Amino acid sequence: MKKSFLIILLILSCGLFMGVKVIVDKIPRSKVPGASIIYLPSGKYLKHATFGYSSLLADLVYIWAIQYYGDHTIAERYDNLDHIFSIIAELDPHYLDPYEVGAIIAVYEARDPYLAFKVLDRGLEKNPDQWIFPYQAGHYAAINLKDYDLARQYYKKTMAIEGAPAIAQRLYADAAFKGTDFQTAWENWEEVYQMTDDERIKKIAENHLYQVKSAMDLAKLKDAIEKYRQINGRFPDNLDQLQSAGFLASIPKDWDGKDYIYDPKTGEADSQLKWWKR
Amino acid sequence: MKIRAIAIITFKEAIRDRILYLLLFFAAVCIIFSRLLVLLTVGDRAKIITDVGLASLSVFGTLMAILIGTGLVYKEIDKRTIYTLLSKPIQRYQFLLGKYLGLLLTLFIMLALMTVIFLVLFLLHKYPIEGSIFIAILFIFVELCLITAVAILFSCFSTPILSTLFSLSFYLIGHVSWGLETLINKMPQGGIKTLARIIYILLPDLENFNFKTEVVHHLPIPPKIFFYSSLYGILYTVFILALAMMVFRRRDFI
Repeated sequence: MKKSFLIILLILSCGLFMGVKVIVDKIPRSKVPGASIIYLPSGKYLKHATFGYSSLLADLVYIWAIQYYGDHTIAERYDNLDHIFSIIAELDPHYLDPYEVGAIIAVYEARDPYLAFKVLDRGLEKNPDQWIFPYQAGHYAAINLKDYDLARQYYKKTMAIEGAPAIAQRLYADAAFKGTDFQTAWENWEEVYQMTDDERIKKIAENHLYQVKSAMDLAKLKDAIEKYRQINGRFPDNLDQLQSAGFLASIPKDWDGKDYIYDPKTGEADSQLKWWKR
Repeated sequence: MKIRAIAIITFKEAIRDRILYLLLFFAAVCIIFSRLLVLLTVGDRAKIITDVGLASLSVFGTLMAILIGTGLVYKEIDKRTIYTLLSKPIQRYQFLLGKYLGLLLTLFIMLALMTVIFLVLFLLHKYPIEGSIFIAILFIFVELCLITAVAILFSCFSTPILSTLFSLSFYLIGHVSWGLETLINKMPQGGIKTLARIIYILLPDLENFNFKTEVVHHLPIPPKIFFYSSLYGILYTVFILALAMMVFRRRDFI
């Protein structure tokens, strides 16, 4: 066989297979995206089959998961989210990004905060020194679920971890306030107010103390006004009548020492300022 | 005639290789092992048997092609039998093609044996055998044709150990090169993207011969892909064999 023939054969076959490759790529084939991953066993068992490369496999599964969840054409892609992220967690328990990203996908894409809690709880279980997981979970509980008791639990866990940011206590206090546990909210805002040297934080804490005190005082006033109305058949003309009638020992004043405003027509009391406008 | 004679001798030589039977034994064990795996699953048991069976055919067929193919030409050079052969009126391309076809015949018979074991298991479970399974197996053979050519190419200029490593790398690259397209799509327009696309088209894409997913999930397969995938396999094999001939004709045995 001549050399020139071989060279022609080489170039021709190369050109042709490249051309065919372009054609084959254009033929759409049925796919089952991500189908293979659900057959992966639990990471606990898979780890033994990685021959010491479990961290590398965790990286690969994580990169695959990012691409998989970015494909919006797969409607049922969230069904195996917990399984996929648990595989990564078992393969490389200290790989922190997948927990955070998995939780973000669960909350904002799958709209399932409880799934996010599972992912983040696992993250905390494997990494008890990482405050970010309960902190993120507290955020989702407060913002997405409006479950302030759950948010408090998570923020409390965050505060117990060394290195947690100071804002965790402020969020804890805020969640307590929104969960109508005024006493806890007051104690925590007061602690923040006393302990901080930062003027901006002091001002924030002061505004919240104003808010909590107003809420507690207004609850007392509302209760006394209602009792007064039940006995006298009308609202009091002013708040002082609540004291003279013996419903209150003294008329409370707001954090700034100012009187609460009162409307005798509606029987409603309110603070003079909005707390965030002080 | 000369090619045929060399092919028959190669076939006789290959079937005497104990490693072939060892691999056949492990392939049979793997296929039969799927019988145990189905006991652990819930749901579609036929899927597990099909998955494990087709994967065994593909993996062990590839190992046979590589482990025997990489030693074929090297052994002739190492034992100096090549001198006797090439002193006869045999062209080098005839020698290579004979070796290639002989090994293909061996692989065809081994694949047929593995298929029989696989189908017997299928029949024992009284699962219906679909025609698409044979299509998947046929394309496994097309893939083996290419892998064999690659093994022989490396065998022309390298030791069996290195050739095995190179051939396995070719196999792995061939099965992951499709991922490069995702990367290319995310690249900004420019020279690097064009270069990456050329590399992507030039690299082997063995996924073109992989119809296992479609078979297992009973998905439709576009008919024209059979033609183009086969053509791609044949052309790539011709390219590799031509390359092997180029390398082999440059070797000095005197």
